[in-house]
Amino acid sequence: MSAVASASFRVRVGDADAIMDATSFVRFEGVRKSYDGKQFVVDDLNLAVRKGEFLTMLGPSGSGKTTSLMMLGGFEAPTFGHIFLDDEPVERLPPEKRNIGFVFQNYALFPHMTVAENVAFPLRYRGIKGRAAAGRIAKALAMVHLGHLGERKPSQLSGGQQQRVALARALVFDPTLVLMDEPLGALDKQLREHMQVEIKQLQRMLGITMVYVTHDQGEALTMSDRIAVFNDGRIQQLATPEVLYEQPANRFVAGFIGENNLIPAHVTRIENGTAVMALGDGTILRAPAATATRSSGASTLAIRPERFFVDTGDTPETNRLSGTVSELFYLGDHLRIAVDVGAEKPIVARIPALQRLPLACGDTIALRCHVHDCRLLEA
Amino acid sequence: MTPDLPTRSQPAGLDRAVRKANRPASRASFSLAIPLLLFLLVTFVVPIVSLFAKAVDNPETRSVLPATVAALDAWPGAGAPDEAVFAAFARDLARAASGRTAAGLGKRLNYEIPGMRSRVITAARSAGVVQAPFKAAFIKLDPVWGDPIVWATIKRDGRRLTPSYLLAAADLRQTADGAIVPAPADQRIFLGILGRTLFIAGLVTVLTLVLGYPVAYALALAPPLLASVMMLCILLPLWTSLLVRTTAWVVLLQTNGVVNDVILALGLSSERLQLIFTRFGTVAAMTHIQLPFTILPIASVMRTIPAAHMRAARSLGAPPAAAFWQVYAPQTLPGVMAGGLITFILSLGYYITPALVGGPNDQMISNFISIYINSELNWGLASALGVVLLVVTLGIYGVFLRVVGADKLRLG
Amino acid sequence: MPEMGLPHYAGTRERVTRFALIAGVTLVLAFLVAPLFIVVPLSFNNDPFFSFPIHTYSLRWFRDFFSNTRWIAALENSVVTAVFTTVIASTLGTMAALGLARPNFPCRRAVMALLISPMIVPIVIVAVGDYLLFGFFGLTNTRTGLVLAHTALAAPFVVITVSATLSTYDPVLTRAARSLGASPLAAFRRVTLPVILPGVVAGAVFAFATSFDEVVVALFMTSAEQRTLPVQMFSGIRDQINPTIMAAATLLLALSTALFVTVAWLSARARRVKT
Repeated sequence: MSAVASASFRVRVGDADAIMDATSFVRFEGVRKSYDGKQFVVDDLNLAVRKGEFLTMLGPSGSGKTTSLMMLGGFEAPTFGHIFLDDEPVERLPPEKRNIGFVFQNYALFPHMTVAENVAFPLRYRGIKGRAAAGRIAKALAMVHLGHLGERKPSQLSGGQQQRVALARALVFDPTLVLMDEPLGALDKQLREHMQVEIKQLQRMLGITMVYVTHDQGEALTMSDRIAVFNDGRIQQLATPEVLYEQPANRFVAGFIGENNLIPAHVTRIENGTAVMALGDGTILRAPAATATRSSGASTLAIRPERFFVDTGDTPETNRLSGTVSELFYLGDHLRIAVDVGAEKPIVARIPALQRLPLACGDTIALRCHVHDCRLLEA
Repeated sequence: MTPDLPTRSQPAGLDRAVRKANRPASRASFSLAIPLLLFLLVTFVVPIVSLFAKAVDNPETRSVLPATVAALDAWPGAGAPDEAVFAAFARDLARAASGRTAAGLGKRLNYEIPGMRSRVITAARSAGVVQAPFKAAFIKLDPVWGDPIVWATIKRDGRRLTPSYLLAAADLRQTADGAIVPAPADQRIFLGILGRTLFIAGLVTVLTLVLGYPVAYALALAPPLLASVMMLCILLPLWTSLLVRTTAWVVLLQTNGVVNDVILALGLSSERLQLIFTRFGTVAAMTHIQLPFTILPIASVMRTIPAAHMRAARSLGAPPAAAFWQVYAPQTLPGVMAGGLITFILSLGYYITPALVGGPNDQMISNFISIYINSELNWGLASALGVVLLVVTLGIYGVFLRVVGADKLRLG
Repeated sequence: MPEMGLPHYAGTRERVTRFALIAGVTLVLAFLVAPLFIVVPLSFNNDPFFSFPIHTYSLRWFRDFFSNTRWIAALENSVVTAVFTTVIASTLGTMAALGLARPNFPCRRAVMALLISPMIVPIVIVAVGDYLLFGFFGLTNTRTGLVLAHTALAAPFVVITVSATLSTYDPVLTRAARSLGASPLAAFRRVTLPVILPGVVAGAVFAFATSFDEVVVALFMTSAEQRTLPVQMFSGIRDQINPTIMAAATLLLALSTALFVTVAWLSARARRVKT
């Protein structure tokens, strides 16, 4: 992935080869959106979604992800730029002509229609009637395990069942693209995790392209082929879940996906592709240098809490940080400790419980991590 | 919300125990409402009950002719009564003449048999001087006293309660032998008035729905600032005194008034039209007054319909008109029902506007109740008409409570 | 969003329909508001006519109104009746609303249906009923009788308005006050009432307006001495409409506009409190 390889600090999300991607099915080109004429809620969006891909737009609220989805669905018009669907520009196409399945945040089930009538609704405008329609409705409802509830009204269903109806309604007309706007937000944790798996299975089985909006990173990591992380109207990084986690492109992504220790550091030199840094107290740390890393200057070092291990030896080692344990929590499978190493914030580390270390607050310990587990980011 | 919860078997009497445990708190809540309930009982419920009582109350004959009514008990109903009845009649009438109560009796009997008023008064005037045998003397005075129908009527009117006012309000009457028959053609007016009342109320309801629905829809679509200006236009008339609004229409509808100016200016007519004291004027004014009542419930239902529904309909393939009629409009039905029913109920009871803007053929049932109370002094008939109006109104109120619910009523 | 929420993808037909909607709604709103203000210029017309154009303006009909003892007496009767009605109706109505707002109120639907029925029952029926019953107690042609009758009509407005406000009131506030040591009455006085006050005042304004505008019951229940302003106007229009009535109508319009603005302000305040 170019985004990873280049590892430029501000990732240019318009990665050129993604746009050229011959298999791209949905394309945003230079899309900007402003409501008030002053501020852009979506700013310079360039994104290509491949056919059959599960792509998630992830970001905090107000980051522009939902607006992007609404533009793709046809409910908002881009202020600048173009959106292509199967290489056709669609800015002027009303939603009913786009043939996109859309699952809304609170499902938007029509309360005056039964479940079956709701599912039949899109078929009516595609000229599918009578037995053909009945067959497809039955199939769609069976697919979401609601075959027996066709005659109920939406208000007689549980939240999870309503969610499934919304899914069936968006899939019954065999759309090639399905958009979902926080579809699981209203469900409790257990049901949400169950539905994540089910939606993912359906998407794979039907081979549909899916664009999914959520603010829940766990959900995004579980379901997606690729994730576009949004902040301030821009894509911060577009990558697979693994790359996002292992090689965050900037401080925002490093902090937003999973937990990270973001340590201010000063690069003093670069040796064989390894950047050497000094902390305030003189501790020396090493991390793989990115191509754009300048050979000297302020930067940020990101280290995940679970990549630390307790160093019991006395010999000075690379990437060894020692300090006193200021907080300690027992969490069953691991210990979570905060270690005061003299930096502005304590270092957080997760120590697997099976090491059975006799730790207590106030102890002095040394934490170490491998060079390849350190990630150097712009300050 | 989960419909398939397992039903666990309850220990016997749990229901009762729960209710018992709640009783003190429930009583405390209720006691807060008691003062108002008692107040309404005295100043609102009892007056209406007394209206019902008045509609069947029948005091005149009993109080003026107590001895006669008692003596008539023995009368078989065929032929003129015997001397004992006439003797009692003479005594009663003599007392009535001195107490000046004969006119009331005459009026009461006149409702049943036209022309009885003057005959009773004449008889009462002579009651002091007639001598026994009274039967012959009264029949000589006026042959009508030999007519068994008159005596049957007096006997029936001697009862404490009478159906005759309620029957009259339904264009029916009871003959001397107790059969219920249609009232004489010239008195058969009340069903027509009820029909007219229902028609005007229905027409006003339909007009407010036709005019008000688009306004409510625009209100739901408009951006907040525009919506609050529109709301101002809807609420201000509601706050304006009914009489001011009716006065405005009286002025507008004058032959030299603004409506005629507009009609001339638009070339809809070449001469000034008679608009005041017409059905057109009445319906226009009532529609104007009722419009906010219809708009507000519709608008409040429309506010609750998520914008996502129309979006969902469009994304599922429905063209704009279909999305509106298939998805949006059906969801507004509860508001349409509430607004329509409220306007229909309130329109049924109109009094001021028809009285000031309408002609003789636009007077509604309330206006006739007022006429019978204030001009004709026939309280029984006025009350009976009131009962008819109330029953119709409460019937529709019942429908309203069933489909809409009392707690859904909001004021702007 | 452009043109009253019309989406960007709207087709020609949709745009035409939307334009027709805007035009139609504008006309209906004009139909709602314009007639109210027709009386204002006419009340300043120097000539005793009810048609336009107006040649000279003057205050003569207002002078007429304020120098005529009948109009002044009617105005005074209306104000006094409305004030008494407001006080009683607000007290009783607020209490009932407080009871109804509690979760354990028995037969709430039936009680609510009864409490608001004075708004539903045709006014003539109430007038005739009151006339019959109050006559029996010698209360017709008295101000007391009129106040009692008006209170029954006005109380539902208080119940509805206060109930609406209470539906946004968080009962946890009362529990908090109780847990901090307040007696039920103190909790009401120091916590509940201040929070719902805008609703109570709005209900009181409704009650005042109801009594002040009421014609039919007053028509049945009063003689010349207790005659209220609306009754005076009604009789005037029925006999011979005269320009002093226009002056009275203009004054009433000003009053109702003031009351309306008060309630609008109160409800805006109530909303601010809520958020």
